Amino acid sequence: MAELTEVVVPDLATDPEDVRRPFRGLVRRPGFVVPAVLVLVLMIIALLPGPVAGLFGHGDPTVCDLGSSGDPPRAGHPFGFDIQGCDLYANVVYGTRSSLAVGVLTTVLALALALVIGLVAGLIGGWADFLLSRLTDIFLGFPFLLGAIVVLNSVGQRSVLTVSMTLALFGWPTMARLVRGSVRSVRGADYVLAAHTMGLGWWRVVTRYILPGAVAPVLVVATITVGGVIVAESSLTYLGIGLQAPAISWGLQLSDASDQFQNAPHLLWFPSLFLAVTVLSIISLGDTLRAALDPKQRS
Amino acid sequence: MSVHRSRLTRLTRLSALAAAAVLVTAGCAVGTQDPDSSSGGSAAGVGGTLVYATGVPDHLTPGRQTVAFDQVMSLFAPLVEVDSSNNISYLQAKSVTSDDAQHWTITIRQGWTFQNGEPVTAKSYVDAWNATALSTNAFENSGQLAGIQGYTDLNPSKGKPKTTTMSGLKVVDDHTFTVTLSKPDSSFPLQLSQAQTGFYPMPESAYKDLKAYDQHPIGDGPFEMTGDFTPDKEFTVKKWADYKGSNVAKVDAVTFRPYADTNTAYTDVLAGNADIVFLPTGKMTSASKDFGDRLHSFDAPGIDYLGFPLWDKRFSDKRVRQAISMSIDRQAVNKAIYGGLYAPATALTPPTMQGTPTGVCGQYCTFDPAAAKQLLAEAGGWKGGTMKIVYPGGLSLDSLYKAYANQIRQNLGIPNVVATPTTDWSEYWQSLTDSTVAGPHFGHWGALYVSQQNTLRALFTTTGGCTLCTGKYHNDEVDAMLAKADAATSTDQAAQLYADTQKVIIGDFPVVPTFFDKYSYVVSDRVGQLPASAGSPVITGITLTKS
Repeated sequence: MAELTEVVVPDLATDPEDVRRPFRGLVRRPGFVVPAVLVLVLMIIALLPGPVAGLFGHGDPTVCDLGSSGDPPRAGHPFGFDIQGCDLYANVVYGTRSSLAVGVLTTVLALALALVIGLVAGLIGGWADFLLSRLTDIFLGFPFLLGAIVVLNSVGQRSVLTVSMTLALFGWPTMARLVRGSVRSVRGADYVLAAHTMGLGWWRVVTRYILPGAVAPVLVVATITVGGVIVAESSLTYLGIGLQAPAISWGLQLSDASDQFQNAPHLLWFPSLFLAVTVLSIISLGDTLRAALDPKQRS
Repeated sequence: MSVHRSRLTRLTRLSALAAAAVLVTAGCAVGTQDPDSSSGGSAAGVGGTLVYATGVPDHLTPGRQTVAFDQVMSLFAPLVEVDSSNNISYLQAKSVTSDDAQHWTITIRQGWTFQNGEPVTAKSYVDAWNATALSTNAFENSGQLAGIQGYTDLNPSKGKPKTTTMSGLKVVDDHTFTVTLSKPDSSFPLQLSQAQTGFYPMPESAYKDLKAYDQHPIGDGPFEMTGDFTPDKEFTVKKWADYKGSNVAKVDAVTFRPYADTNTAYTDVLAGNADIVFLPTGKMTSASKDFGDRLHSFDAPGIDYLGFPLWDKRFSDKRVRQAISMSIDRQAVNKAIYGGLYAPATALTPPTMQGTPTGVCGQYCTFDPAAAKQLLAEAGGWKGGTMKIVYPGGLSLDSLYKAYANQIRQNLGIPNVVATPTTDWSEYWQSLTDSTVAGPHFGHWGALYVSQQNTLRALFTTTGGCTLCTGKYHNDEVDAMLAKADAATSTDQAAQLYADTQKVIIGDFPVVPTFFDKYSYVVSDRVGQLPASAGSPVITGITLTKS
């Protein structure tokens, strides 16, 4: 996730009007519209997997017939059957929920942690800043996947919640640094000083003037993080230390399919396709947002 | 990151499996070394060097090896041999006789020597058996000798043994010795057959340096070592010119090449870089497409079953267990998971075991979802919440157990049936030891000799060694019948009595027999004949068509 640190913190003080409305014109860019629509569709699938899976008449992912084991697509079963003879389309559709849930939940948890730590470090400064920054450095030092593997191996029941919490534990430092940086740059800005001078309360200054300025860049990173986390979850699950059956997830499907690649390649293609499209959409969405927020990249 | 553990089923008992399921992180040996002797293979499909892809061997001392059967069996000659049609014949022994199944006289053939020139005598056997049995040596195959009188003196439950020899072993002359067992056992001659390597002899020179011997074993068999064995490296054995046995090797040499990952070995055999490998479970569905008629499957002395926590009220009614058995479509599972290579079980021992009453399980091992549902309803239906089917993780058993769970869930109408892997073998074993296993669980027994005795005694008596594997099943009648069969005076009579015992056990239905094991091998196009015995290829009988 090294690339995440390259996000440029926009020079917020110079062009307050653009900061207020950075998303104007965004909706007209294809780089935004296409991934946004795809993400929307995936969200709908994740929220309503039943009706979506039932589109072709065989919506129950747990109805399996070993006689159809590994069969290719046919009428009513657009993606064919997995090795247990279950409808692959229904399984891929239900898998969307766990993947997105882990992605979003992890990011929300990590973002919350990052905002608190970044704000405290950026605002208070001094010893608090020193302590929190070193803590951030320590966590940045852990290799993300390795740390997750170690923790998940000692977690008894691996569910969406525990996997998300583990990934969040190692995912917050980049964002915390970013928040701290923006808070520090905004802290001394004229309009914040003006707010102080006008006698506004501490809480109001933070929520009304500092946070909005600090949150925009970190949101971009958060969006990209969702994609990264989905990849991480699939990798961990593939290695047998992420989600566990009977959970339905793309990682589990890929892991089952890898042995059968020669007999039934479609078992690998469909979950991979969904995984790739999801991650690509989310990351390009994040990229578009970054471009919109960064005045230097704006044409 | 390589998270691979191969499923080591062949010729391994549960305990051996436990020991061998340890992750081995060795790199595989690459490159061929032509042994000095192999270059001049004679014509007509004879000679040449066979490259045998194996797992990573642990030891080469016969009393110690648990995963190096092929290597050790090629270097030694067993007293008794079980051939490809399951008949037993004497090999190094001239005769093994007894009047009462308890006092045995073993006469060995004269004129045999070890590969260092030492003669093979009765003492070579008695000394080797004592060394293997002695607890302070900690030889892995010690348990194979447990039936001999005096074994407990060498393996006291506490402290050091006071003696180093078993009272049941007596050298009569150079070529005769007697064995007294602690109780009658009509299957003793079968126990002397090739896979029970704890019964092999060792030369005098071995005891001077057991460690060196482990790297360069000297045997009395069809092949001899050409150099020292280094762990993780391949090594070659060449045909021994002075071998006295009838099973003279048809190839000139065999190179045993260890692979940490059997899938790599599979690919190498497919590419022709190695000649033969045991088929890993994950490749079973693709093997016939890849290899066609170069895929060979042999009846093996192993059985797969589902065990139950019999103390758990949810499973204590035998009709529940019978219903579960009838809800599993073994044919469909076999086809989908094993590529049709296994055989659905119809008895408690596989047909390789002499006198196995195939079909004794009858309707209860036949797929019949309607009858299964009805039987479950008669037993009061399922009220136990989620049914967990427990199996050890990391052994590529996932698809199999998912298939069982799906079948039970759908065919019995139980809403939640979940295949639950443990993290590893030891966690699974622990759950059996603590009696905390949450539901029907993985069961496998691979015997080392082809008598029903081994499997029945181990699994269905409380003192047999694996009573944990069957929910501590106990029935006095079964114990008595097995003791009677052990005391039979002929192996045929014993086989009949063991078969009768199976009927009684099936009446109690403590386990769900699922599959008779088959050991499958894929070979390169150089391999001509591939005879097998008790599920494993007989190396001396293998021929190569090109060298």
